[in-house]
Amino acid sequence: MENIKQKNEAHKNKVAKRNITILITCLILLILSFVISMNTGYTKLSPNDTLKTLFGGGSHKEKLILFKFRLPRIVVSILVGIGLSLSGCIIQGISRNPLADPGLLGINAGAGLMVILYVMFFGAKSFLSVFTLPFLALIGAGITAILIYILSYKKGEGVAPLRLILTGIAIQAGISALTTLLVIKLDDTQFDFVANWQAGSIWASNWNFVMTLLPWILILVPYIMMKSRVLDILNLGDELAYSLGTEVERERQLLLGAAVALAASSVSVSGSIGFVGLIAPHLARRLVGPKHRILLPTCALIGAVLVSISDTIAKIIVQPLEIPTGIVVAIVGAPYFLYLLSRNTQ
Amino acid sequence: MVSSNKTKTEIKNIEYVDKGRTWVALLIILLGLGFLFFLMAFSITKGSIEIPLSSVWDVLFSFDENNTHHLIILDIRFPRVIASALVGAAFAVAGAIMQGITRNPMADSGLLGLNAGAGFALSICFAFFPKMKYIQIILFSFLGAAFGAALVNGIASFRRGRATPMRLVLAGAAVSALLSSLSQGIALYFNVAQDIMFWAVGGVAGSNWEQIKIMFPWIIGALIGGVILSHSISISSLGEDVAKGLGLNTAMINVLSSIIVLILAGASVSVVGTVGFVGLIIPHLARYLVGVDYRWIIPVSAVLGAILVVVADLGARTLNPPFETPIGPLIALVGVPFFLYLARKERRAL
Amino acid sequence: MNSINTENLSIAYEEKLIVKGLDMCIPKGKITTIIGPNGCGKSTLLKAVGRILKPKDGIVYLNGEDIHNLTTKEIAQKMAILPQSPQAPSGLTVGELVAYGRFPHQKGFGKLKEEDKEIIQWALEVTKILEFETTIVDNLSGGQRQRVWIAMALAQGTDLILLDEPTTYLDLSYQLEVLELLYNLNKKQNKTIVMVLHDLNLASRFADHMVAIRCGEIISHGDPEKVMTPEILKEVFNIDAHIVRDPRKGCLTCISYDLIKNKNNMCAKICGGMNI
Repeated sequence: MENIKQKNEAHKNKVAKRNITILITCLILLILSFVISMNTGYTKLSPNDTLKTLFGGGSHKEKLILFKFRLPRIVVSILVGIGLSLSGCIIQGISRNPLADPGLLGINAGAGLMVILYVMFFGAKSFLSVFTLPFLALIGAGITAILIYILSYKKGEGVAPLRLILTGIAIQAGISALTTLLVIKLDDTQFDFVANWQAGSIWASNWNFVMTLLPWILILVPYIMMKSRVLDILNLGDELAYSLGTEVERERQLLLGAAVALAASSVSVSGSIGFVGLIAPHLARRLVGPKHRILLPTCALIGAVLVSISDTIAKIIVQPLEIPTGIVVAIVGAPYFLYLLSRNTQ
Repeated sequence: MVSSNKTKTEIKNIEYVDKGRTWVALLIILLGLGFLFFLMAFSITKGSIEIPLSSVWDVLFSFDENNTHHLIILDIRFPRVIASALVGAAFAVAGAIMQGITRNPMADSGLLGLNAGAGFALSICFAFFPKMKYIQIILFSFLGAAFGAALVNGIASFRRGRATPMRLVLAGAAVSALLSSLSQGIALYFNVAQDIMFWAVGGVAGSNWEQIKIMFPWIIGALIGGVILSHSISISSLGEDVAKGLGLNTAMINVLSSIIVLILAGASVSVVGTVGFVGLIIPHLARYLVGVDYRWIIPVSAVLGAILVVVADLGARTLNPPFETPIGPLIALVGVPFFLYLARKERRAL
Repeated sequence: MNSINTENLSIAYEEKLIVKGLDMCIPKGKITTIIGPNGCGKSTLLKAVGRILKPKDGIVYLNGEDIHNLTTKEIAQKMAILPQSPQAPSGLTVGELVAYGRFPHQKGFGKLKEEDKEIIQWALEVTKILEFETTIVDNLSGGQRQRVWIAMALAQGTDLILLDEPTTYLDLSYQLEVLELLYNLNKKQNKTIVMVLHDLNLASRFADHMVAIRCGEIISHGDPEKVMTPEILKEVFNIDAHIVRDPRKGCLTCISYDLIKNKNNMCAKICGGMNI
């Protein structure tokens, strides 16, 4: 008996150690991509100069490039990665469907529709857009999510996951249809703007956007972490979740609300980068298993690494042009995901 | 003895329900087919020039080369209506098969990587070979769709051919994301995004006899194949273990179904672009009408899908003449409220 | 003293009435087994008592308190319910799953306290799955998995445990082991056990109190001596049973039975064979 206990303890320690190693590896990758991203861009800065400037030295021009352009963009990409991946993790956990992602809650579609309406009425070059567009996108995403929730709510049964999925698909498809009908009426510049937005480009990169996104992340991430056990329990299915004393419907509402807020605020500044929310939770689950206490941070880090590395690649691959980050995310992330899928038999 | 009579009536009741289903399904198919032919004829009369219904009849039985109406019908409207019906049936059946095999209500032919593959091929055509002929582009799209499907299946069954539905679904999502991102990137970089979009929303507008000659045998063949497989798909939808227990060669069925879906959806996607919603919604509707037996779901889906696309194409031509309204969004807008209703009504989706 | 009372309880799925106007009591500190044919509303009843299903009408009292006045967490501290064939998320280890049982007793981030760890250890030991603690649940056999779920319910540390067919998937010796485990919990720790059982003889052997249900109505309840009679079994299961006293255990046992032919099966018509 004691022997078995010792063996179990040893195994648990080993797993804990492995999980911490995975977390640290992700963290190192994140720092690495941060450093690389700081050193890449249209203007060449040597790593030495970058370091000097970061710690107060450097010329005026160097400071301008680093603090005004590069740093906020990197921070935005990291925050967006965290927001979208956590949102996806929650939605997959609640719906118990591996195909679910934040797009399922209509976030990308709703935000996209708002962006197109805005561009149609005010033009792509309007100076107002830098400030109003994220706000409008946020509203569009929020309204769509609420609409989906209301439509999938049924008295006495609440929001059954399957009905949520089906409703989500339907609303998403409807809004995309409207979007297409509108898009064919756009002129060239408007179309380019919208196409870039839809492909997910982190164009809104100044400190103002960091400031609009940061509070959401700072409030919601700890909140979700606190709810990690509730997510575990919800993963057992409704019956057992009730049995273990969870207010299933209320918790689901709160968590979905958090997921919507995270994804909507991220999408509003980044355009629609859909793939992170789908893939980061899967990658994390394959690495550390289904317990949310370790799954959530791993997932957030993977998301952050994925988006920030992709953004760096997006900047350098076809200089001086840029391709939208969302495209790079899929091109970088999908092959790795497919590799894991083909290797792992489970 | 009174009680024994009761048992008998109960058994009769059960048989009655079963037979009732069969009759409902047969009725839907027959009425549906009749309605479809009427719709096709009606659709031919509508458009930028109104043509009396009698001319449609005349074209079939006493064709007059010098009559412009007859020429319009024969060269433009006929192929278009036939293409609509074929494409509708093909998308719907492909969707039904996908949902049965993957046991996922979110599945449609797009999940096999077909749409993304076709889109990828399309972006390459537009970016690198802008002078390609119409029919060549369509062939290229089909090759792209096949490439996408091969990639998904290859990855899903990498290990000892174990293409479980879950792996198929995940691989499909990832490959689709990859290919569509690549095509988005190419489109944006070479500045052909708008051209591609106009091509993709074009629907069945440019259909001609040449296309239909190529498409017709394949789609009809694949539809028949789908009906032949339908019993196995019913069994398959019970889950892999049960299906194997019932003596079904699940791996074989998966491969055969994939090929049929590829032919059906691949051919349709390359002709009309992604009209995704047909494949998603029609199988749900069919299941709602005739129950969970794929022997009925598949033919009913074919008929309903054909009707839906013919109606949608009619709308596309007549809503805002002389302009065409894109058919894909049109179908989606009609389908959404209906799909929402089903989502509320259904207790189980599969 | 009753652990659970129901008053005029009616339960329906959509418009379909499964249980109507049921008054039932579960005595405290006893083992109660619920028997009845497939689709008679046993599982439905258990779920309604365990507040997983909202009844259409009527009240469930837990220790004399209306269950609707309690928060679901308060209920979870007093009553554990294990549904039929639950599913674990893939990749979870046995130890982690059993630890979920401590959920109703935790707050905030939910770090496991010493007390929690002890009760988890105990649950693992009494269900004899300690050696699997670090094994992934997906890799266990059906019987082992069933014991893991029971361990989770035990870790919940409640005085009342409801189980829906806890012996499914188990071989003969494990069936007995699980039931004896529950029996000992009842005798030594005075826990109240309620379970739906299919095996009549096991139900009679381990029960202090039996409830026989057909078509959502109680046909008979009381100690096994009262319920395990040919008349009642005929009414409930439509069988012609031969009941004798088990020479070793002294409990009533059905050693042989036949179907009664030519009797209409009303229940199938009313309940539609529903077993949800």
